[in-house]
Amino acid sequence: MSTFTLQAYQNEYLPLGGTDVNAIVTVTSDGAGGPSGQPEAAVVVIVDTSGSMGSPSRKIKAAREATSVAIDCIRAGVAFAVIAGNDHAFSVYPRGGELAISSEQTRTAAKRVVSGLTPAGGTAIGSWLKLAGELFRATPDRIYHAILLTDGENQHETPAELDAVLAEVEGVFSCDCRGVGTDWQVSELRKIASRLLGTVDIIAQPEAMAEDFRVMMHTAMGKATRNVDLRLWTPQGATVAFVRQVAPAIEELTDRAVHVNDLTADYPTATWGAEARDYHVCINVPPREAGEEMLAGRISLVEGDQVLGQALVKAIWTEDQQLSTRISREVAHYTGQAELADCIQDGLEARKRGDFDTATFRLGRAVQLAAESGNDGTMKLLQAVVEVDDAATGTVRLRGNVSVVDEMSLDTRSTSTVRVGAGAGAGAGAP
Amino acid sequence: MSVVCPSGHQSQTGDYCDQCGAPIAGATQVLPPAEEAETSPAARRGPCPACGSQRSGDDRYCEGCGYDFLAPPPAATTWEAIVTADRAQFERLAVAGVSFPDDYGERRFPLQEGENRIGRSRGHAGEEAPEIDLAPPPADPGISRLHAVLERRPDGACVLRDLGSTNGTTLGDGPAPIAAHTDIPLGDGDRIRVGAWTTITVRRL
Repeated sequence: MSTFTLQAYQNEYLPLGGTDVNAIVTVTSDGAGGPSGQPEAAVVVIVDTSGSMGSPSRKIKAAREATSVAIDCIRAGVAFAVIAGNDHAFSVYPRGGELAISSEQTRTAAKRVVSGLTPAGGTAIGSWLKLAGELFRATPDRIYHAILLTDGENQHETPAELDAVLAEVEGVFSCDCRGVGTDWQVSELRKIASRLLGTVDIIAQPEAMAEDFRVMMHTAMGKATRNVDLRLWTPQGATVAFVRQVAPAIEELTDRAVHVNDLTADYPTATWGAEARDYHVCINVPPREAGEEMLAGRISLVEGDQVLGQALVKAIWTEDQQLSTRISREVAHYTGQAELADCIQDGLEARKRGDFDTATFRLGRAVQLAAESGNDGTMKLLQAVVEVDDAATGTVRLRGNVSVVDEMSLDTRSTSTVRVGAGAGAGAGAP
Repeated sequence: MSVVCPSGHQSQTGDYCDQCGAPIAGATQVLPPAEEAETSPAARRGPCPACGSQRSGDDRYCEGCGYDFLAPPPAATTWEAIVTADRAQFERLAVAGVSFPDDYGERRFPLQEGENRIGRSRGHAGEEAPEIDLAPPPADPGISRLHAVLERRPDGACVLRDLGSTNGTTLGDGPAPIAAHTDIPLGDGDRIRVGAWTTITVRRL
């Protein structure tokens, strides 16, 4: 059984009449397996084998190689399968609608099949996910994860068809999505990864695929706890303004609430290995008198009804403005990181439709926020799109020639955040 | 179990009302977030042994008190403070409006060399909490934010100093509080009384 630790960071003091309670909750899991034996993993690699993967041919070559590397990483005993997808989905290994159990023999057989994958046909991502869901359902009691690789838009399926499949497989498995080249839609893959609680990224160079697949496969097999929810209790008369994951990347969870009772809702967090994530919770509470204290939120991590850990979010009303006007460092930091992601996505969209004033303004603000928070990764990506005159004031000029790869990389990774104090070299919340 | 909050709600949680969120006076029950940490082999990940704060990830130093999670067990002369709730003391003092915490678990604080402050943190992020932080519920309302200090001296001796606390500090079973800002040498097994029911026993190890 993994040990989960929750810690809340907030300024619990509110001015008289104040109603907004903000807190950052850090959840840490040690990823340890239990004495009773953790459920084993089940992984499916979904490879796009549509016709476009053959031009240039190094795309399909890299995909074959990356899939082989991923297969090599599969621990003995883990259930796995390889799906090849074009406008239909094919369970190329093993055949017969179930998962294989990893062994020297099955891995070798799978790699032999993968080396023969040939590009042809169109792209219908929903059908691939649907098949993955069917394979997982046929192998009960596992921690389910898929890796999806595509190079193109979902052209042979309507958005409604994809949505229907997502609704069907949501909660069954998690899925990391990777786009290779520049012909895929960032928003489309982000939607899939978001719904299926996975990551999304661009693989600009096919040659970089193998290493990325290796990392994803290791992460997937390091998961020790599944079906974990963030449970939020709020008092009578309170409303949840938002719940969002803010590290390692921004992920809105507000709309994903599943109500347990009138005062309690669960938000999905899927599977956990040895990792730390931060959540930003904002609760509106009915105001009370000066000096009164209220529990504004009880946040727990639950697996079914078993509480794995919890943290308390409090509100105390005070007339002392020195107390009530302070903003928690953690809350301020992650508010900035969320704004950073918004600015990038807005700025890129404005740039695309030719509104260069808005693009300059929004991307300038993004540069300023990235600099303030020490988000060097995002800063580097921003610099490929804008010329930075002064990061402190957010003074930038749009670059004239921006490669599609740079633009898509910035868009895809805009939601990546850094933890508090990463720029200054201090640990989160350290005194 | 169920308790009644100040507004009259029946609450299944004993620290704050599970209906309106109001604090429950003299809270007698807290949900231990780290229950498993104490029984699992990964207990090193659990709360800080010195102050009970939750360890943040793999952080080496406790955010509450600076305790070093990686420090080897201390050798040589060292002292430990053991905090318990004493019903006899509670009944003797009979502070109005305070109820006795029936499920107050023993809390142990190894004393660091130098000053070990006894008090109650406010729970602010970034706050420098006292080394012996008695804020985690059930909290004794009679303990001041900064109440007293246990100082472990380089020569192995240990002294107690009241910091001008509101309700005073007594030593042993005597009724008279010790003088504020005055060092009182301690012996192995001495019992220090603070607040409505808190007894701190010091042990030379």
